[in-house]
Amino acid sequence: MLYMWRMSNSSPHDRCDKQSGCIADKQALRRSIELNAWLAVSAVTYAVALLLIRRHPALSPGWRAGLALTPILPGLFYLRNGMQLLREMDGLQRRIQVEAWLFAALGTVVISTVINVFNAQGIEARGLAHGLEVGGTYMTMFILWSVGVVIANLRYR
Amino acid sequence: MKNRLRELRAERQWSQGDLAERLGVSRQTINAIETEKYDPSLPLAFRIGRLFKQPLERIFVPGVASGA
Repeated sequence: MLYMWRMSNSSPHDRCDKQSGCIADKQALRRSIELNAWLAVSAVTYAVALLLIRRHPALSPGWRAGLALTPILPGLFYLRNGMQLLREMDGLQRRIQVEAWLFAALGTVVISTVINVFNAQGIEARGLAHGLEVGGTYMTMFILWSVGVVIANLRYR
Repeated sequence: MKNRLRELRAERQWSQGDLAERLGVSRQTINAIETEKYDPSLPLAFRIGRLFKQPLERIFVPGVASGA
C-alpha cells in the first residue's frame, strides 16, 4: 500500500538535487509511512478485538460493543492522515486518487450486489453465504483501489 | 486544451523533472499536461505563466477539453 501511495502521489520531485525537493519528498514519505502505520494499528486492533470477543463470550453487551468499536479510533487517525496527504497532492495526483476510490467504491457495490443476488437465488459461493461482510468489503475495496491507482497511473503516464 | 509547455521547456533546456521541481508538482503532472491528457488547475496555470513570463493565452490554447 505504501508503494501505491508513493507511486500515485508523494513525489513532487523526481530528482532530489535541490534541497527543497528532498524535503518535500521526505515529508511525503513520512506522511505515507504514518498513514500505513495507522492502517496497521487499525488492523491489529480489529484482530485483537475480535479475538477477545470470541474468547470471552460472557462479556456484557456493553463491553462487547466497546471492544468491537476500538478499531474506529486508529481508523480516525488513518482518515486524518489520508486527508492531509490528499490535500498536499497536486491536482493530477488528487484526481488519480479520486478516480481510484470511485472505482473501488463502485466496484465493491457491484460485486456485493452480484453476490447478494446469487445468494438470493440459492447460488452460494463458498464462504460468501452472508455476502462480503465487513472484512471482505474492506479487502475488496483495497484490491480495487490498488487496481484503480494502477489504471489511472497508466492513463496519465 | 493545447499548450506550448513542451516547446517552452525545450527552449530553456529543462527536463520534465526540472520543470516539475520549479512548479512544485510531480513529473507525471508535467508529462500529462504536455501530452494534453490533463488540464492544469487555474493556480498551476498561473504559476506556469509566471515561470515562463508569458500570459496564459500564449501558453494555453483552447481546444478539445481533456478535463480540469
